[in-house]
Amino acid sequence: MAELISAVYPVQLRQVGGKNLGIVWNDGHNSFYNVRKLRLACKCAGCIEEWTNRPILDEKSVPQEVHPKKMETMGRYALRFDWSDGHTTGIYTFENLRKLCECPQCRTASV
Amino acid sequence: MFFRKSIAVKNEDVLRALGQINDPDLNKDIVTLGFVKSLEILGGEVKVTIELTTPACPVKEQLKTQAEDLISKIPNVKKVEVTMTAQVRPPQGQAPGNRILLPHVKNLIAVASGKGGVGKSTVTVNLAVALAQTGAKVGLLDADIYGPSIPLMMGTRKERVLQDGAKLLPIESHGIKMMSMGYAVEEGKPVIWRGPMVHGALTQFLSQTDWGELDYLLIDLPPGTGDAQLTISQTAPVTGAIIVTTPQEVSLIDARKGLSMFQSVKIPILGIVENMAGFICGHCQETTHIFLQSGGEKLAHEAQVPFLGSLPLDPKVAQAGDTGTPVVALNPDSEVAKLYKAMAGKVAALLSVRSMNQQGEAFKPLEMTWQS
Repeated sequence: MAELISAVYPVQLRQVGGKNLGIVWNDGHNSFYNVRKLRLACKCAGCIEEWTNRPILDEKSVPQEVHPKKMETMGRYALRFDWSDGHTTGIYTFENLRKLCECPQCRTASV
Repeated sequence: MFFRKSIAVKNEDVLRALGQINDPDLNKDIVTLGFVKSLEILGGEVKVTIELTTPACPVKEQLKTQAEDLISKIPNVKKVEVTMTAQVRPPQGQAPGNRILLPHVKNLIAVASGKGGVGKSTVTVNLAVALAQTGAKVGLLDADIYGPSIPLMMGTRKERVLQDGAKLLPIESHGIKMMSMGYAVEEGKPVIWRGPMVHGALTQFLSQTDWGELDYLLIDLPPGTGDAQLTISQTAPVTGAIIVTTPQEVSLIDARKGLSMFQSVKIPILGIVENMAGFICGHCQETTHIFLQSGGEKLAHEAQVPFLGSLPLDPKVAQAGDTGTPVVALNPDSEVAKLYKAMAGKVAALLSVRSMNQQGEAFKPLEMTWQS
């Protein structure tokens, strides 16, 4: 039954100023993200070529002040963002969001 | 002698040229369709961005070449730059990524299999009836849009769905509230739809059916890992999934894929049901393992998920299904009915253990609006 209770999921989403997003997870971890970096990390088929995995999102086309307009959970595995640059197709799995976490603890862990 | 000022290219010339390009799928020109996202003209230089509805558009390159050719034929155009982008649009009338909240449904259980023909619908209706016999309030959604079999198996093939305002009234039989594509189309008529239509029908069945208060809502999924599975796992608050397989490798191979799909979308696996596990001869009472033995149990062990039980291949089960009364309702004291009841008990127990053992805060759908 380990399977049934092991998954990580967010329990709270919060805006930190104009440029940062915080996520509190069920295991108590507090994640922190710069929202433009998060936009640039989008893995959808419009940003990363589906068959070759080649990045096709031009960083310059994303405004410096880009921010989410709205975000919501997809099923029980991901978050979907409506971005201020009109992009709406990016689905960020909880696992991927944990990898993208920029909190000091995760940043030191990944170095 | 005088110098003639170079004549600037006009927006309407470019749009007129692009208006000659038809999208072969939508059968309209790309200007009417609103695909021209930006147009910049600097002297003789023309920059156009064309936005398609899917990055996987098979004629993307063809449209790009056509656009370049047509624009370069406009007088005074010296340089053309066409950029192709894509923005997948939500189906009309539907908010992007909309979520279905079923606050009056305590447990939403998806019944799935990788392979078809393993008796998934038979298992689902019998489990549903067995759960209802314990006094639980049970609903059943037939998510097999192309091959709905619930109406026949529950003796409701002549029933048609009625609407009450925006609500769809479920069909009731054997104590179960049901919704199926079979109640919406004429019997015997095929449903010939592409994926987005399946998505639309399923979200509508799930969210607009007047389910009332339910302890368990079972979803009978079609075989495979396609549109129906994705729609359910992305939009509905699924509590757990049950995987049905027959014991032999050709079915296990697909069951593993089903398992792995639910694991990747973080839907807990409640367990594995092994169906058609052995045939008991009506004359000599000997068991023949037509589809081999214990494959389901091995898979459960391998994937470290509960094994919910093994069901025999019993002609009485098929007969009961065809006559519209699941065997659990028709012969509640038969051996196979007892197996189903035991299985229903296991499922119910797993779900209650699960809700008790939940560590920390339970998963809840979240949303947030950014304040700028």
